[in-house]
Amino acid sequence: MNLVLVGLNHCSAPVAVRERVAFPRAKLGEATCELLGTAKLAEAAIVSTCNRVEIYALAADAEQAAPALRRYLHAYHKLTEPLDEYLYERRNRDCIAHLMNVVCGLDSMVLGETEILGQVKDAYAAAQLAGATGAALNRLFQKAFAAAKHIRSTTAITRGSTSVANVAVELAEKIFRDLAHSTVMVIGTGAMSEATAKALRSRGAGTLLVCGRDRERSGALAAQLGGRAIHYDDWPVEFPKVDIVISATASPHPIVTRDKLVPLMKARHNRPLFLIDIGVPRDIETGCDELENVYLYNMDNMQQIAKDNLAVREREITICHELIAERVTRLAEWLEERYQ
Amino acid sequence: MTDRYYDWVALLFYVAATALTHRRLRVAQAAASLHHLNVILMVAGFLLQLTGLMLRGMSLQRCPLTNLFEAQMFIAWALVLFYLLIGASYRISFLGAFTAPVVTLILLTGLLAPIDVPRVPTLKHSPWIELHAAIGILACGALALAFVVAAMDFVQDRQLKSHHPGPSFRLLPAVEQLDVIGVRLLILGFVLLTAGMIGGAISYKLVGAWPWPKVVWAWASWLVYAALLAARTIGNWHGRRAAVATMAAFVFLLTAYWGMSWLAR
Repeated sequence: MNLVLVGLNHCSAPVAVRERVAFPRAKLGEATCELLGTAKLAEAAIVSTCNRVEIYALAADAEQAAPALRRYLHAYHKLTEPLDEYLYERRNRDCIAHLMNVVCGLDSMVLGETEILGQVKDAYAAAQLAGATGAALNRLFQKAFAAAKHIRSTTAITRGSTSVANVAVELAEKIFRDLAHSTVMVIGTGAMSEATAKALRSRGAGTLLVCGRDRERSGALAAQLGGRAIHYDDWPVEFPKVDIVISATASPHPIVTRDKLVPLMKARHNRPLFLIDIGVPRDIETGCDELENVYLYNMDNMQQIAKDNLAVREREITICHELIAERVTRLAEWLEERYQ
Repeated sequence: MTDRYYDWVALLFYVAATALTHRRLRVAQAAASLHHLNVILMVAGFLLQLTGLMLRGMSLQRCPLTNLFEAQMFIAWALVLFYLLIGASYRISFLGAFTAPVVTLILLTGLLAPIDVPRVPTLKHSPWIELHAAIGILACGALALAFVVAAMDFVQDRQLKSHHPGPSFRLLPAVEQLDVIGVRLLILGFVLLTAGMIGGAISYKLVGAWPWPKVVWAWASWLVYAALLAARTIGNWHGRRAAVATMAAFVFLLTAYWGMSWLAR
């Protein structure tokens, strides 16, 4: 018996190909059952996310199973053009190592991301529910999940955020006791300010105020994020109630200056204030950062933190591979003992 | 086995908890499992110190607060007591990592300095005086933890201001949370300090003698903490300034206590 993997991911295939071979989540179980019947496999599981489609199988003959899995992908998605140039294959030890790398986020587009673990767990649950897994795949997936848990708790592979919007959320969480009680004000609308406001809202930020010269646009963004639109000229009035300011206007001069901020800080009883300046040229005077309890971050600052976090993750790759290698050896030996 | 041996062994546990801080800083994600180990080490140190204090109390046949060494052991113990209570109720995992080095320092200086000199009490033995002294020391414990929380607040504020968060950034709580906990600890410490002073005034009046250096120290400390509390609540002091003032107040409290004790000797 051999473990076989056939699949494609964001490195081997463009999104146009990936989207055509993706399996709908609700049909994973059904597709796995169909696969077992057509490809003559002992066990099988299909992992399908936006960045990868992979079929893990246990088969008596790997030489026959791998082409059968390729044919199945073609047939199931009714593809006319060949897929071979995008597909990769892994067997036995390499297959175990690959799955462990995947669940640990080492094979992800964003190194160390944790969402993939949940997605693989869902895929495994679907296969298990369909009765498509047995002793080998159960052990393979469970050992892979255990490896992911161990690696996440003993290395820094998931440490820190690697996107600007998430860095802003991470900083906000280290300034305010409870984001649910904080008020966010977006001054000026744009893709980056929208992404940051969205990230803050998804982490439970309380009230959202959207303020822009274009009433229609700010109204639409406020409606989309469940906030309230205010007129651009009203922002100083609302300011004392605000805890987080995301500023991204096209103003040629700073709109928040140190002189304006001093009385506003007094009005808000000197409570912490988080200023996120995404505007170019900058919207917030750099001198504001010198004020006590005012934390000012611009694009460069946040991009640097994201870059540093990524560098920390990259430094952990070797340690992760060493930890995975030990587990791969143990599992490969168990499989050999059991099936040969 | 004398009570000092228990203090030495307790010190080893606190040193181990301090060493653990280094490990926790290196691997931020391991905070959960290492946090439990930190709590176990701190609880073990706490129980050993308690045994030491009880043995000393039994041999003296009174509350072990007759000299500077005993007071220092009691303050360290009270600090760990409040850490265990506050850390658990606010779920601040990294509080122990900051508390352990402070406890280690207090214990180490107490054990190494020649301050464990038996003193013949000059005043008549009174359980009221002992109770007042114990409340005063508990106040010091709460204020010591306020110092620890202020240190955490200071470090976190610096990291946020620097735009280059260090390894402890993810382990430390939000500055606003530390600020709130700091004020609550100050209120607790101040109430205990006031209760201790009232108790002291009644006890010494009953005994009919006033230990003047101690009275001056108590009043000076009370005034410093009253001013600090007013600044942090009414004056809206938050963040770095509040943290620095809280740390300075505790340093004053401790150095003035040492100075007063040396004078009393």
